[in-house]
Amino acid sequence: LSVQDGLAADFRAMTKTLYDLNKGSNIVRGGPLKELVIENFDEEQIWQQLELQNNAVLDFFKKSIARDAKDEDLCLLSDQEEDGSDAETSSDKELEDNIMEVETEQMNVYTKDKDKTKAKEKQSKLKENIMQNYSDEDSDIDFDIEALEQQAKTAKETTLRKKGRKSVVDDKFFKLAEMEAFLEHAEKENSEDDDEEEDINYFEDIISDDEEDSEEAKVKPIKSSRDMTYKDFFDPVDDDDGDDDLVANDAEEDQEEEADSAIEEQNEESMSEFEDMDEMVEHMRSKEASKKVTFSLPDDSETEDVTEVQSEKDIGPSEIKSSFEKRQEKMSKKIKSLEEGLLEEKPWQLKGEVTGQKRPENSLLEETVLFDHAVRMAPVITEETTFQLEDIIKQRILDEAWDDVVPKEKPKEEAFEYKKRISLDHEKSKLSLAEIYEQEYMKLHQQKTEEEENPEHKEIQEMMDSLFQKLDALCNFHFTPKPPVPEVKIVSNLPAISMEEVAPVAVSDAALLAPEEIKEKNKAGDVKTDAEKTPTDKKRELRRKKLRKCMRRREKEKRQKLLEKMKPEQGTKLSKKAAAAKLKRLTKEGKASLLKDEGKDKALKSSQAFFSQLQDQVRMQIKDATKLKKKQKKEKAISVHKLKL
Amino acid sequence: PAVSLSPRQAGKGEMRKIPVPANRYTPLKENWMKIFTPIVEHLQLQIRFNLKTRNVEIKTCQETKDLSALTKAADFVKAFILGFQVEDALALVRLDDLFLESFEVTDVKPLKGDHLSRAIGRIAGKGGKTKFTIENVTRTRIVLADAKIHILGSFQNIKMARTAICNLILGSPPSKVYGNIRTVASRAAERF
Repeated sequence: LSVQDGLAADFRAMTKTLYDLNKGSNIVRGGPLKELVIENFDEEQIWQQLELQNNAVLDFFKKSIARDAKDEDLCLLSDQEEDGSDAETSSDKELEDNIMEVETEQMNVYTKDKDKTKAKEKQSKLKENIMQNYSDEDSDIDFDIEALEQQAKTAKETTLRKKGRKSVVDDKFFKLAEMEAFLEHAEKENSEDDDEEEDINYFEDIISDDEEDSEEAKVKPIKSSRDMTYKDFFDPVDDDDGDDDLVANDAEEDQEEEADSAIEEQNEESMSEFEDMDEMVEHMRSKEASKKVTFSLPDDSETEDVTEVQSEKDIGPSEIKSSFEKRQEKMSKKIKSLEEGLLEEKPWQLKGEVTGQKRPENSLLEETVLFDHAVRMAPVITEETTFQLEDIIKQRILDEAWDDVVPKEKPKEEAFEYKKRISLDHEKSKLSLAEIYEQEYMKLHQQKTEEEENPEHKEIQEMMDSLFQKLDALCNFHFTPKPPVPEVKIVSNLPAISMEEVAPVAVSDAALLAPEEIKEKNKAGDVKTDAEKTPTDKKRELRRKKLRKCMRRREKEKRQKLLEKMKPEQGTKLSKKAAAAKLKRLTKEGKASLLKDEGKDKALKSSQAFFSQLQDQVRMQIKDATKLKKKQKKEKAISVHKLKL
Repeated sequence: PAVSLSPRQAGKGEMRKIPVPANRYTPLKENWMKIFTPIVEHLQLQIRFNLKTRNVEIKTCQETKDLSALTKAADFVKAFILGFQVEDALALVRLDDLFLESFEVTDVKPLKGDHLSRAIGRIAGKGGKTKFTIENVTRTRIVLADAKIHILGSFQNIKMARTAICNLILGSPPSKVYGNIRTVASRAAERF
């Protein structure tokens, strides 16, 4: 497809000329534009101009037809209306055509009966009905079928009314020839009120009765103008699709072609009448068009079909094909289309693995893709599922079967209890093996007797508990808890190793005393032996020692003085040690001298005692003499106290 | 179940001989009363100590009611000879399902010299502490004679004690062994 500029220009020029011609004739009134302006005008604008003209023309035609319908000469038949009304119920155009055929046939019958007025009336009524039906049709087809029909009828004015001429569209009810005849008759009546009946139509064929009813196609030697086809005038044309002959036609013709294509669109849906309608269309077109017409519509296929149909019809237009032949044709057409489809390039959906680049954008969204789901899909929540759930919930509530979480408790076992379970005895067991097993055996067998006693205990316990509870309720609800007993924890200052040797429980060192608690840390930080100590350290220690001693002594004296003051009697009673110490001090200082105790004061009781005492005295004297000598030597030593000043 | 003497055996009478090493001679003499009383009175057997051969001989007699008594008595005496106390060995007579297992330290691990001595020391513990602990926990009796170990007790307990002793031989510290045997023993106690 491509814009054929040259042809388009020709077409426009022709259209203009035709338009101007038509305007000049003044047969049809209406239309605001006196001429078709094409210079520098778009196609759309030209079409709109034509449309304006068409609207006016169509209005004119409508009025004229209405006028004719109201004409008193044309009386409407009452008997025939019923049949017509039955047929009219169908909205299909083909049926309407059939109706037309029926009516025309009957009308022909009537005309045969020489009741032409009735026939005319019927025809007019038929026309009206047809008009009505056409007006009821959907307005997708933006052309006036009525106008088309009118034109068709006007075109057929010139044709001879032929009764008995067979055409392909002829049916049991419809005879094309009869219809034409009737239409011509009606036209004649319009022009001439009288003398219709007596006029003889020289052009019409006379047919016999039996031929009317027969459906078989007969080829008549005389060809009516209707049967004249392209072939009669021109040489056979090639079967090409790309014919570029654009014929400048009237606006009406354009319309007609549009109508034809539209009709074809409609007709494609009904297969049965397809051939027939094509035939009719073909007839219509072939009359008007001197050459084949192609027009660049968006649906090229239709034009192709049309041209194909045309070409096919060119081969044997007058031959009426048998049903078998028709079927065969259809089959072959179908096969051809299928074959072409197979030969064509496949759509991307059928091409196996297709990546994103090989298919149009977002084309996958329009496809419904099937694939295996590896993951279990989430459940679709519908009303039914919610109802089911609610039922379960209600039942659970009624049953009181809650799914409450049971709190788990960690079993706490203290070390004490654990130790109780198995105590490691490090000593030789006192019981022999036999006795151990004996005990075990007894334990196993004694459990039964214990259980019998316990219930009584339990009862007693329960009773006591209840009693105490009642008493408490009476008096002791202001309950104060016992004061917390201070826990005494014995911390033994054993070295950690010895503690650890006893396996059972893990002992932490934190319980032991810290080294600082045992012995205070040195200010310097480290402990030094006597060898390590520096003179400063030694002096420091000495000073400390002296200070401590001094303090102690002072405190002692204070205490003594206090004691003396408070209790003078007791104060004089000095301890023996204190007295001896004092004495020694005094003697050393030289303030006091010890008297010798010779023992003369003792009372002599016996003579032996007397003489022994005497002997002792002598001895003592001798000793003293020797001592004096020693003492003299000693006195030479200087005493510190004497030197002290 | 008591096994009665077959007519063939009944006539002759079975005998068992248990040799006595020199170091057990004195203890045998001291505990003789305690040994032979249960054998003669409860098991109805005849027992004597052959001084020349240094064997303890046990013989059935007409009063013997069941033949298994002889085995029991023999085991009892043997246990005592190995080194167990009389009271402990007596359990063999009273209970059926007690066994006696012996093995050597070198069976577990080939040790020599000081290592062997140390292993034995580990088994014994300070003052026999470790050995007594094992005995108490597993309810067995253990005799540790230089490199030989004898265990007396029920089958499961023997197993437990043996495991503990083997661990000690292989070198684990006593505290660890205590922990292990305690858990095992507690589990065993739970079951029953």
